[in-house]
Amino acid sequence: MVHDTKYAGTKKELINTEIINNEVNYIDAADERFPDSLRMIEDPPRGLYYVGNIQLLKTPSASVVGSRKATEYGKWVSKSIGTRLGTEGVTVISGLAVGIDSYAHMGALKAEGKTIAVLGGGINVACPAPNRNLMREIIYADGLVISEYEPGVTPSRFTFPRRNRIISGLSSATVVVEAGFGSGSLITAEYAAKQGKNVYAVPGNITSQASLGCNKLIYDGAIPLIVIEDILNEFNIEIKKSQGFSKKLGHDELTVCEYVANSGETDIDHICVGTGMSPGKASGIVTVLEMKGVICTGMGKIFIAK
Amino acid sequence: MISKVFTAALNGIDAELIIVETDVSAGLPALNVVGLPGIEIREARERMRVAVHNMGVSFPARRVTVNLSPADTRKEGSHFDLPMAVGILGAMSLVPQQSLENTAFLGELSLDGSLKAIRGVLPLAEGILRNGIKNIVIPAENLREASLVEGVNLIPAGSLAEVSEVLRNPDFALELLERYSTKNSRKPKTPEKAFEKDFADVYGQENAKRALVIAAAGMHNIAMVGFPGSGKTMLASRLPGILPEMTYEEKLEVTKIYSIAGEISPDEPLMDKRPFRCPHHTISAAGLVGGGSRPRPGEISLSHNGVLFLDEFPEFTPSNLEMLRQPLESGEISICRAAGNYRFPADFMLVIAANPCRCGYYGDPMHNCTCTPSQIAGYRRHFSGPLLDRIDIQLEVMPVKYEELSCEAGISPDSGTMRASVSAARQVQEERFRGSGIKFNSSLAGSLLKKYCTPSPDGERLLEEAFRTLALSARARDRILRVSRTIADIEGDGQIGSAHIAEALSYRSLDKLYRG
Ligand SMILES: Nc1ncnc2c1ncn2[C@@H]1O[C@H](COP(=O)(O)OP(=O)(O)O)[C@@H](O)[C@H]1O
Ligand SMILES: [Mg+2]
Ligand SMILES: [Zn+2]
Repeated sequence: MVHDTKYAGTKKELINTEIINNEVNYIDAADERFPDSLRMIEDPPRGLYYVGNIQLLKTPSASVVGSRKATEYGKWVSKSIGTRLGTEGVTVISGLAVGIDSYAHMGALKAEGKTIAVLGGGINVACPAPNRNLMREIIYADGLVISEYEPGVTPSRFTFPRRNRIISGLSSATVVVEAGFGSGSLITAEYAAKQGKNVYAVPGNITSQASLGCNKLIYDGAIPLIVIEDILNEFNIEIKKSQGFSKKLGHDELTVCEYVANSGETDIDHICVGTGMSPGKASGIVTVLEMKGVICTGMGKIFIAK
Repeated sequence: MISKVFTAALNGIDAELIIVETDVSAGLPALNVVGLPGIEIREARERMRVAVHNMGVSFPARRVTVNLSPADTRKEGSHFDLPMAVGILGAMSLVPQQSLENTAFLGELSLDGSLKAIRGVLPLAEGILRNGIKNIVIPAENLREASLVEGVNLIPAGSLAEVSEVLRNPDFALELLERYSTKNSRKPKTPEKAFEKDFADVYGQENAKRALVIAAAGMHNIAMVGFPGSGKTMLASRLPGILPEMTYEEKLEVTKIYSIAGEISPDEPLMDKRPFRCPHHTISAAGLVGGGSRPRPGEISLSHNGVLFLDEFPEFTPSNLEMLRQPLESGEISICRAAGNYRFPADFMLVIAANPCRCGYYGDPMHNCTCTPSQIAGYRRHFSGPLLDRIDIQLEVMPVKYEELSCEAGISPDSGTMRASVSAARQVQEERFRGSGIKFNSSLAGSLLKKYCTPSPDGERLLEEAFRTLALSARARDRILRVSRTIADIEGDGQIGSAHIAEALSYRSLDKLYRG
């Protein structure tokens, strides 16, 4: 198969815009590999340019989207959802933008799961280095990069919103992780709703600029994503209780872990007040818990990762 | 006839003995100075001429040649006025030749013949004494500062006339000493209560205070990153109050540097607090690292044995920051000039504070960051490179919430408590490093690092695990070991254990901030 052989064994560095240019394939809407899900949307694309594993178009999938400017919390949630979906064999679809999109892809890659990037311009059109590296990684990991635009088309204010109908159209459900007002991911949510798909939104603090859009979506009827596993309901995947972690934690670690779990989001100073530990000890325990994957930190904030 | 007068010239913070030879001989009236004189010394000719004249002596209408030897040493500074004037008096036989034999002279003259305070009297006097000359005539205003040198006979004078008087009548020295030491003996300030800013004013921020204690205890370089208004400047400005005491040798060393910079106040001649310097980001290169036609120590040398605080760190020009590299590695700075290299000590603790992005709110859920991704990438570039490899502790400073600002400050430690932890760790280090050439854990490297920073087996295991899961750079390892050594010292533990390593691992905000 095309995607298997072409990239097997090549050095990562080799995949840059020129090579992608040579290897961009095309299927039109009549092709049997073209998914029904896309045929059924309003204004379907006439065909798709792609690099990578085209079979992924027919796998169960969810899209995970959000703002380019993401908070630490948003990045972490996005990556966690990506990882969880990836682990469960659900393909993660997103738009390869910096911020939430990238973290969703990265989460799927971390779980060695499948992921599809839908671009708003020609596949060979140069994009910023971090996105390009991520694109390479996706292709390496047997993922897929697609676009309805032919090679050479530069993305524009017009193409990006239209691209979003493909993201939502391909997937069974759409999760908006973080969106300020006016974020393009709100357009994706709107398409998804019009296409009859479930829209999930990750709730945020009402004071958080980065979550205004998500909270508004919930107000308008989107399903709030209360725990990450909620999204798995879409795919009838049984939720396995994560287990064993607490057993491996020492007494103090458990104390800190419980405190963080109960506070939702906290920082070292509050852990000290809440548990009576010294700041030095609390910092150390938080670091160990982070290494064990139990909690997450960013910009001084600490939250639970499970 | 020829006269010989002793004085000294500065080279870095040390001084060399200089002999001023003066010859007055027949010829057209002229005054020439030879022997690599700096610009100020060439100007001294005019000051000297007028000062001697105003003393009531008519300046010789003959050919005067002044030779400064050794000829290959560059001589800078205004303190050559007095020895040159005395040389002329000697050559004219207005003062007895033997009175010049065991005495050196330092001082700047004003036109009316009075003596003005000079820069660098401390290192100059020390250098003269080292060359076996015990009597030094100095400007009265420099008396307190020069008194820090033990074993010299200081003769303070207020004017050239007084100098010439004391040379003819040695008993006059006692009278001068009495006159000027009473005048100069204003009571020194009370030693305690010298720090007006206390950490007690900072509510909460226990995590930040802990990190600052560690930084001060091991003199580790520290970076503070946080949103605007989170208290970075407030925290840093309280650092002087918890720094470890200096030894007498350290105090003298710092005083010498300030003496050369002309920053000693006559009331407090000995610098007994570790310096804390916070230059503005618009500072010139010479201001920062030193330089100028008459080499003057820059901020980095004025921070020697103390703290250099660069607030709003990304605002400093990259070229200025680049210049910090050498001193951060070697603890001194060489300034290259045509006449040769000057070296000043510059062993300081670097403290930097920065917002996470240009607008200040990158990563803050409460505000919108208005920076573009490329602006963020550009800003982030300030936090890479060799300079940042030298920053052992990287702290995230979170704003304390308003409702917590108003609550009682009782729980959060004050400067006194923090200072106690610092002193304890300082004592441990003093014993450990006696005779080894280093003073603080922050200087540990190579074999010494291996010798003193081998963690317990579970500490080692945690460290290895950290490299896998936290994606730390190899260079981070030494940093973490140094910091955990200091943490163990604060806790009074001989061996570095996993708890110390874990805490040291938590201070890595820069590594975390921009990941992904
Ligand atoms: N923890 C705190 N306790 C008391 N006052 C604080 C605290 N944090 C901030 N402030 C107040 O906010 C002001 C701004 O802090 P500052 O140190 O200038 O912030 P930054 O340098 O991080 O921008 C301080 O001068 C102080 O009045
Ligand atoms: Mg500030
Ligand atoms: Zn910004």
